[in-house]
Amino acid sequence: MLCLKTTGLCHCYTSDQPILDDIALAVPEGSVYGFLGPNGAGKTTTLRLVLGLIRKQRGTISIFGRSLDTHRIEILQRVGSLIESPSLYEHLTADENLALLQRIHRVPRERVGVVLELVGLAGTRSKRVGQFSLGMKQRLGIAAAMLHQPELLILDEPTNGLDPNGIIEIRDLLVALNRDEGTTIVVSSHLLAEIERFVTHVGIVHGGRLLFQGTLAALRRERVPAAPVALRTGDDPRALRVLADAGVVARLSGHGIALAAMPPPSIAAVNRRLVEHGIDVHAIGAVEGDLESIFMDLIGSRAA
Amino acid sequence: MNSRFVDAFCCEWLKKRRSLGAWLVVAGAFFTPGIVTLARLIRREHLPTLYAAPEFWTSLWRSSWESMAVFFVPMAAILTTSLVVQIEVRNNCWKQVHALPLEPHTIFLAKFAVIVLMLVQFFLLFDLGIYLSALLPWLLVAGVPYPQASLPLGTFVGDTALYFVDCLPIVAAQYLMSLRFANFLAPIGIGFLAWVGALGVLSWQHANLVPYAYTMLDYLGDNPAARTTAPTSGLQLFALAWFVLLTVAGYVLFATRTHKG
Repeated sequence: MLCLKTTGLCHCYTSDQPILDDIALAVPEGSVYGFLGPNGAGKTTTLRLVLGLIRKQRGTISIFGRSLDTHRIEILQRVGSLIESPSLYEHLTADENLALLQRIHRVPRERVGVVLELVGLAGTRSKRVGQFSLGMKQRLGIAAAMLHQPELLILDEPTNGLDPNGIIEIRDLLVALNRDEGTTIVVSSHLLAEIERFVTHVGIVHGGRLLFQGTLAALRRERVPAAPVALRTGDDPRALRVLADAGVVARLSGHGIALAAMPPPSIAAVNRRLVEHGIDVHAIGAVEGDLESIFMDLIGSRAA
Repeated sequence: MNSRFVDAFCCEWLKKRRSLGAWLVVAGAFFTPGIVTLARLIRREHLPTLYAAPEFWTSLWRSSWESMAVFFVPMAAILTTSLVVQIEVRNNCWKQVHALPLEPHTIFLAKFAVIVLMLVQFFLLFDLGIYLSALLPWLLVAGVPYPQASLPLGTFVGDTALYFVDCLPIVAAQYLMSLRFANFLAPIGIGFLAWVGALGVLSWQHANLVPYAYTMLDYLGDNPAARTTAPTSGLQLFALAWFVLLTVAGYVLFATRTHKG
């Protein structure tokens, strides 16, 4: 079952400049959905639309199987969010900031202490937020988003301003939330490497269009057949000449010779030919790119 | 009363804790009584005669209200309203407020109610300040008797209530503008210009139609030396009409914004 679903979501700030074009998000219940895209791709606009912070122009948004248009309050009671920079009152303490929300969400007062403990801010609850570092504010923003134990957590670039250790802590926290409480998490980022370790599903947006959506494994599978071939030999310049004579497109790269993507039988034929010409082949095979390169490749090829 | 509104109101009341707006209410309310007290302590030789006068309280009341009605009340309404709304803008919190499970009218009215209540606080503290400005010289200066005249409490409460109603159109207009403009200098600047404009048209026969003029007209209406030509009866009805009109307009603009936060 889908926790969040949008269909045909379009948005324009000016009449001729579409920011979003036919975005159809499908976030399964219980998933950790990484919403990826470079800066300006339309991630924040999409998430703002999903929360009703921007008036919808076209398309449909349903959360928990209900339309946002007709069940907004009911839906927002079950959603926690952190959009861009955290919304915190700097003249109030961490405790007071959460007390505001605790009152609105009608959760027990003890919950404030629990979430502050979870994000590692238990020792600073009576400190004014104006004295917090950016990382501490980010943690408090996440604490505010999860105060009422929402079923859906929408986090826009939640690790902004965090140091590497903080990023790992927040990642572990989100994994635990998803695993222990079954919270569905939508987390946006422009860095795939940052979220690939904990997301189960990925949506890649670029130029306002959704380029890919599915599981992380499906993303890997989709791109592997088109992976280039890397070759290392005992005599690369001579190998290049032999390959050129055979009509194989090849070029020298930083780690040997790079060949265009080809099926496994062709790779075997290349190997045979080189050996027949007395060239030692040290390594040959398709390069299974890491997700970051798949992501960049996807954006480069589909957005063109 | 809607329990969601009560929650939202308590939440808004907490937000203004330690804020500039909250301090302004206290400082503004005690400013004039403080000056009056100081002036009396400096010119202490006149105090025995002054405190023995039968019109002591009404004289003190009127002189204290002079600067309040003309300057401090309009300024308090302009600044308090703008500063309270600015709390959301400055802290980038509108987006969180709109993502809460609250109806737009609840958000709008809860914040508005806090501003109005802060002004009630302002008036009550000012009245207390007036009383203290009479009491302190009596306590601190030897030979000064307790005021002989009895305290006209009913008149004071009635006058305070009228001035409060007079300033409501300013609050509603400032609230509308503060919600509309993210830069808080805009509502404060426009409010200040409107107040200067109201000062300029006080002698106009239709000055009673200007929403920023009611506190001044109310004060000057009792003064035969003031050159006001506008009728001063029914000022509060005009003020209430403006208040309702501007509040409704403010809500419509607030609820129909395409980008919230």
